[in-house]
Amino acid sequence: MKHPEACIQCGTCVTVCPVEMVGGHAIVTFLADPEASDYSVWLCSSCWRCQEACPTGVNIYELMMEERRCQAAPGGYQDAFEKVLACGLALEVVQEELDQNRAAWGLEPVELPSPDLARVLLRLER
Amino acid sequence: MRFAFYPGCLVLQRMPEYEASTRAVLRELGIELEIVQQATCCGSPIVESFTPDWVYLAAYNLALVERMGHDVVVTVCGGCTNTLTRAALALQDPEARAEANRRLEPLGLTVAGQVQVRHVVRLLAEREEELRARVVRPPLPPRRRPPLSPPLAGGQEGGRLRVAITNPCQAFRPGDVMGFDDPLEPQSLRRLVELTGAEVVDYGGEDECCGATLYLANRQLSLAAGRRKLEAVREADLLLHSCGNCQLLLRRFQRLIVADGIHPRDEPDLRKPALFLPQLVGLALGLPEEELGLREGTWR
Repeated sequence: MKHPEACIQCGTCVTVCPVEMVGGHAIVTFLADPEASDYSVWLCSSCWRCQEACPTGVNIYELMMEERRCQAAPGGYQDAFEKVLACGLALEVVQEELDQNRAAWGLEPVELPSPDLARVLLRLER
Repeated sequence: MRFAFYPGCLVLQRMPEYEASTRAVLRELGIELEIVQQATCCGSPIVESFTPDWVYLAAYNLALVERMGHDVVVTVCGGCTNTLTRAALALQDPEARAEANRRLEPLGLTVAGQVQVRHVVRLLAEREEELRARVVRPPLPPRRRPPLSPPLAGGQEGGRLRVAITNPCQAFRPGDVMGFDDPLEPQSLRRLVELTGAEVVDYGGEDECCGATLYLANRQLSLAAGRRKLEAVREADLLLHSCGNCQLLLRRFQRLIVADGIHPRDEPDLRKPALFLPQLVGLALGLPEEELGLREGTWR
């Protein structure tokens, strides 16, 4: 990953990152120190705090997403992505159970998307 | 007034009480919600981590809202709010919009990207005075506080319900896209809790992410983020948030946080009830607990 030119390595992003607060090393570790190797672009809770706090306006989120697409994903992400491809939703929902559950709560019925919809929209053939 | 409603995967499947309480509170304000049929995952961060085409998944959901004839879609999770808002912005680019419409055409849909995405916190914050005027009773504190809980900062026992809030990160950031409240230290959730008559406990972590999305990459770190929060809020009677992900990590995974071997037996119990914002607001408006998905004994 190329270190962004706009980054002045001030480390503000590290101080606001909730992952760093519990001992994980996220992309912000690399921003503060381009020599660092013990970090992962997958360790992120998508809170956007680093980008918001960045004094030079580095688009950290975009940078992270671009790098993720070049790397193997951890199981949790891979599984969730496969679910979206298989049923359109990140969690598998059974129509019958959903109907019963919603009826019990007095909520209007919901029709689930057709299973292949995400593949069609993302143009990812089976 | 009628708005479209997009619950997102998590709330649709696992948290009907959040949808029910949101509807109940908005109904008091004269707003009816119509759920988006055949909606898919919003696209981020799961799909966005694999392909830049995530935006077309979000565009599909916005197209459904447009077909319903609504120009506002109400969301309840920070993530969906952020994703759909960023997608609507991306669709202002004519090329991106043309590509989205090429993909939507076989489905008989078109997208203009003009739909406004409104998280329930924002929707309620924009009606703060109307809500304040409708408060009939402050939510009561628990009948019995845990014996090990520290004494009240203000002095006397009893008093007001003490609430520890977690702001839904992605409903406020990035600030230049969301255009609502202070992106790093938002105040609207706090103000909404205060107008119910409850007391907001300052614990320093109001703007710290719950860690739920981190769970997809590293469970241990994610639970550690949750534990950090639970340890900081001991003075509070309950946790309060306005996002399915926060509820997932801070409430549903509480037993994992506590039973993970990272909770020594001799410490005071860290477990706490957790409410969604509309549940607390609904109580203050005098709505019945059942309608808000609050069962006696589970939260008080």
